[in-house]
Amino acid sequence: MDFREKVVSEIREGVKGTDHDCRYNPCHFPGQDCTFCFCPLYPCEDPELGKLVKGRDGKDVWSCQDCYWTHRPDVARELHQLLTHRVGGEDAPIDTKSIKAVLERKFNKRAKALMVLGATSGAGKSFITAALCRVLSDQGFRVAPFKSQNMSLNSCVTSSGEEIARIQELQARAARAEPIAAMNPILLKPKGNAVSQVMVEGRPYMDMDVTQYYECFVRNEAMGIIRRNYELLAKTNDYVVIEGAGSPAEINISGFEVANMRTAEVADADCVLVVNIEWGGAFAYIFGTILLLPEAERKRFKGIIINNMFGNAACLRSGIERVERELGIPVLGVMPHTEHSLPTEDSMFISSKRSSVSDKVVGVIRLPRISNFTDFDALTLEEGVSVLYVNDPKELDYVDAIVIPGTKNTIQDLVWLERSQFASKIKELDGKVPILGVCGGYQMLGDTIMDVHGIEGGVCQQVEGLGLLRAVTDFDAYDKRTVQVSGELLVGTGGKVRGYEIHMGRTMAEEPGRLFRISSGGDPYDEGSVSADGMVMGTYLHGVFDLPAFRKFFVEMMASRGEGRGRTEARSLDEVVEESLALSAKVLLENLDLSPLIPFHQGGGTE
Amino acid sequence: MTARVMVQGVTSGAGKSTLTALLCLYLRQQGFKVAPFKALNLSLNSYVTSEGKEMGIAQAYQAWAAGLEPEACMNPILLKPSDEGRMQMVLNGRPYAEIDPHSKAPDQRILVDAIKGSFEHLCERFDFIVIEGSGSPVEINLVGKDLANMRTAEIARSPVLLVGDIDKGGVFAGLYGTWHLMSGPHRRMMKGFIINRFRGDGSILGSGIEILENKMSMPCLGVVPMVELRTPEEDSLGMTGRGPRGSCSDDMRVVWVDSLQSLLEAAQPGLDLRRICDIGSKGID
Repeated sequence: MDFREKVVSEIREGVKGTDHDCRYNPCHFPGQDCTFCFCPLYPCEDPELGKLVKGRDGKDVWSCQDCYWTHRPDVARELHQLLTHRVGGEDAPIDTKSIKAVLERKFNKRAKALMVLGATSGAGKSFITAALCRVLSDQGFRVAPFKSQNMSLNSCVTSSGEEIARIQELQARAARAEPIAAMNPILLKPKGNAVSQVMVEGRPYMDMDVTQYYECFVRNEAMGIIRRNYELLAKTNDYVVIEGAGSPAEINISGFEVANMRTAEVADADCVLVVNIEWGGAFAYIFGTILLLPEAERKRFKGIIINNMFGNAACLRSGIERVERELGIPVLGVMPHTEHSLPTEDSMFISSKRSSVSDKVVGVIRLPRISNFTDFDALTLEEGVSVLYVNDPKELDYVDAIVIPGTKNTIQDLVWLERSQFASKIKELDGKVPILGVCGGYQMLGDTIMDVHGIEGGVCQQVEGLGLLRAVTDFDAYDKRTVQVSGELLVGTGGKVRGYEIHMGRTMAEEPGRLFRISSGGDPYDEGSVSADGMVMGTYLHGVFDLPAFRKFFVEMMASRGEGRGRTEARSLDEVVEESLALSAKVLLENLDLSPLIPFHQGGGTE
Repeated sequence: MTARVMVQGVTSGAGKSTLTALLCLYLRQQGFKVAPFKALNLSLNSYVTSEGKEMGIAQAYQAWAAGLEPEACMNPILLKPSDEGRMQMVLNGRPYAEIDPHSKAPDQRILVDAIKGSFEHLCERFDFIVIEGSGSPVEINLVGKDLANMRTAEIARSPVLLVGDIDKGGVFAGLYGTWHLMSGPHRRMMKGFIINRFRGDGSILGSGIEILENKMSMPCLGVVPMVELRTPEEDSLGMTGRGPRGSCSDDMRVVWVDSLQSLLEAAQPGLDLRRICDIGSKGID
């Protein structure tokens, strides 16, 4: 059978996928498509794909050994389709040139590299990398994430039993790609005492301390490992989206550091710098990062992303203009703070947010205008108690007690509670776990909040509370109560309480149960409310947990009376992650001008 | 003249509040009558003084570190954001105004007077004031509107120290970028920088510190180690729930100050406190 006959028979046999029975598999790369063992485009004579070598007889031969292109599943599928349509009779010539041209318009022969670097850790690199993977995948491109070196204890295992960082697995999901070790060829798993287990290509390589790692590993084999794994991804994808590590401008270790600009060089990547604006100082970090890099590295930066903006981005205009003017790099946009359920590199999913699995967890609802949350720090003085700030009502299924904290605006945050489904969830858990409202949270637990003068919201209104305590709050005058108080517990075995009140409005408690007898200054009076079953409590006292008596009472109650977490099955994690990835891509497209990075007009492959 | 020194940060959460408290504790132990000061605080975590006045909780904490009862003049302006740009302004411990994006901004002169008045009031009674800045001093969009950083330094005629958090990464970039974006006269008020929350062996930082000292013409005054610490956080939920358990006290306030003492002990070898004290006594030229 001559070469042409072999190709024609390959076309007849249809798309094969990976030939697991072939003893040479994988002759190019794991997951390769074996439809065209004999390439219909041979010899393409395209130096980007193959090269001339000396054959056994000393003559020049075209070698495809390093070409993975037609073994990409998407390319093979497309090629097969094109050939099926175009191959005429047995003897009609195949116009390989025009077929190759069609393929080239749809598939990159070598992946373009985009790299996301952060001004700091926690800038949002991982999230932006995942979002870029999803945006490109949505465009029809074949995409892979890459992080040359990652330090993380959160790893998972690929289908071939290799270990990679969890976050790259997530990014692979974003890219709709099978996670493979090449996406995270070096993984450091800290073991304590400055020693890490170094994993290379998903397998344990050696335990090293910091000096061994930098003096030996980084100087010798690290770049070779990075290069060969990047190469694999570059040959089998249209885009590789690379995540950097920490800041690229750590001038004390430049020369020893491989995960940022040296990886960018290997991949010849277009770089974007992400800076988290939440902490302030974002412009200082942008200028400092770029200006501390050598000229050649600066030139790689095609854009800057300001991430995690709370509030209106319009106020940043003058700063953005100065960045673009003085650094000559466009600011691609400002990403708003986005609530999502994707893990960050250092944290994990909801269920593992607690500091220890056996801990009792107090869930403090993260109201938009949360105030005086220092109140809850004291809870963690108790052994076996951790505090979780809860963003999502579903997370309340995992807590052992609920706290509604203080707020700068009770009525607006109450409306938010209703809208965000927190209200219904809290009511559902009434009687099952202890619920405590502090200050604004206390006001919310009552039946009614009256604001006939519009003191809270600027609007005269009367709103329904959560109705878990018989109490009515009245904002009857623009009068702010700020006073230090102390007294005794009326619940549990008694003891002292100390705190301070900062609030507008007065609460008329109609529950017979009271929490405290306040005896500091003036006539003693009773403060706070307790429901008939004892499970719902409200108080105006900030710092209520500072002294041990009430703290211990609350923790004891959580342990003895609460039904605790795990009442309902959580939603499938896959579902939550998939939703968040779709959201990430949407937010990215809505807020950034990606045109300096991605040619949106280019078609992308067919799926 | 009352000695004074101001701690400014590369970001919020760089460790300004803690370092200010640390300096208060150290100076008290050196025999100074020391008080904390923060002109303007943007925080929803507030404290009520024995006179029923409201102030930022961080200044209350710093006052405890200085061995004092908190007073509203240690934080004359407290802004409590409510939503979408609206906030309540507490002036000298009392609600003063509700600010929203459409209302006229409060007269800057009144605010500057409040800052001056409170600061001078403290100067009359104390011999060292440790001033805390707010957020980053180089928010380009706030140029001319930011009272709490260089404007306060000018009012107080105070030398400024810049602190960056290395735990986040990018500390060199943050420090250098902050200095780069300052005007010439403001750069001259900066007398040193501090690297905060460092884990590991400090020798690894040497070459980077040297580059920065040369570029910014000011010394690195120290590297403060990462210590598991309990402090009342001003504006982030980040630290909650961390920190050692099992302090000898059951009272949160005592735990806070005890925890600060342990930080002071850990920081002393790497932080040039005597030089900071000298910078404060010398003032600005």
